[in-house]
Amino acid sequence: MTDSIVSREKNGHDRALAALRQGSGKGEITSSTEIAPGIALHVDPQAGASGSWISPAGRLLEIAVSAPPEGRWTALHVGLDAADLAGRDWLGLIARSAAPGEVMVRPCLRSGHEGGFSDCFFPRHLLSTAEPMTHADALHLPSTPEIPGVAPWRELVLFLPHGDVTWHLHDLRLVLA
Amino acid sequence: MNLTLAIPARDDAEGLVRLLDRAARLGCASHAVVVDDGSAEPLDADRLTAAAGMAPGHLILLRNETSCGVGAARNQALALVETDHLLFLDADDLPARELADLLADLDGQDFDFCLFQHHDSRAGTERRWGQMPWDQRFWHAAGVETGALSPVPPAAAAQLVQTANYPWNKVYRTAFLRENGIGCTGIEVHEDVELHWMSFLRARGILASDRVCAVHFVAPGGGRLTNRTGPERLEVFGPLAHIADEIAGTEDSPFALPFYRFALGLCAWIAANLRPEFHDELAARAARFAAGMPAPVRDALRGSDPGLLDRFPPAP
Repeated sequence: MTDSIVSREKNGHDRALAALRQGSGKGEITSSTEIAPGIALHVDPQAGASGSWISPAGRLLEIAVSAPPEGRWTALHVGLDAADLAGRDWLGLIARSAAPGEVMVRPCLRSGHEGGFSDCFFPRHLLSTAEPMTHADALHLPSTPEIPGVAPWRELVLFLPHGDVTWHLHDLRLVLA
Repeated sequence: MNLTLAIPARDDAEGLVRLLDRAARLGCASHAVVVDDGSAEPLDADRLTAAAGMAPGHLILLRNETSCGVGAARNQALALVETDHLLFLDADDLPARELADLLADLDGQDFDFCLFQHHDSRAGTERRWGQMPWDQRFWHAAGVETGALSPVPPAAAAQLVQTANYPWNKVYRTAFLRENGIGCTGIEVHEDVELHWMSFLRARGILASDRVCAVHFVAPGGGRLTNRTGPERLEVFGPLAHIADEIAGTEDSPFALPFYRFALGLCAWIAANLRPEFHDELAARAARFAAGMPAPVRDALRGSDPGLLDRFPPAP
């Protein structure tokens, strides 16, 4: 059985992504920017950040972040309804993106646990270029024991380069099988 | 946003039905004006209306018993448009899925035209989706290669104007074309050069979108306009002269160098696609045209494209 865990409009983040895809929201970027319920851009608060985001019709996001290069992280967080992965085999990620300059993104599955969280990075970097590119990758769950089978919360974290970055995320889907 | 598709068609009923059907599925146009430019078998209005899925009266079919040429047919269609915006399409091209999204983004925006990207069937043979590299480089130079909707400042417009002079890669504000008297030239080929350049020269608000909103099919050989090799190609010097006059009316126009580079490049392309018996006349007319080039533009062109001027030297 294959489920989309972010594209069905059953829960908050599904609806948020669908709304981003269909809508025309926009806003300013700070060190912590809620773009939609369950979807946020976080930048190292010690470095600070500015910029703007917009959600064109039919696409998810265009992000223009201005931040000092010494910042430790800039990342887009997407909350997932995937608390229980026990018995599942694959977590797949499909994205389409572009960027005026080359942007290397590192996707990761973050699983919460008492007192913190653990990160498991997808095998491949996501490369965005001026020509829109499709990216597909997957985590094989049975052979990735560092991913806890059950976690109180999970999110997809897309780590962007530090400093100034412009990144266009046309679409994003996650599939659980 | 209410949009009219303005479509000239001649002996391509199947292509037109395919286009209208695709547009209906995308829900991107409320109206259509089709000009049947002398098809051997007249187009059937009922069949077109059914394919377009439009309300009664929203598709207008005009017929020329004798062909007037695609440029004149486009102008006839433009004259009948009743919506605030229009998109020229050719019967053998297709609207693409992102057109509906672009129109959603454009709703409420103030602009004269919005240039969008297209898919060229030649790119498809390389399993790529989008334009050919020689078009794309102008988008890159203009700084609007990516982005669903970007304003185009004058310096960027002078880059972007050098993309292929297609009529169907822009959503136009109808009143902008009418108030400025902009349309196609009534000639058989290169009829879209004037529409393209005068739009850039007269516009006060240009937008650009990286969205691929139309699919353009390029077929080598056959009877398409692109493949014509006769003296009708020499008619291009009429619209080139009009555009040169328009540019000359603006001191230090940023469009001057791009225009003359384009015009002489077009002459070189024509030379490569013209039957040999017309080469002498082409060379003479191109040399006369080049002789009218302002000296600063000539100097700049000699620096940036040295071989281009040498193609059409002045007559001894």
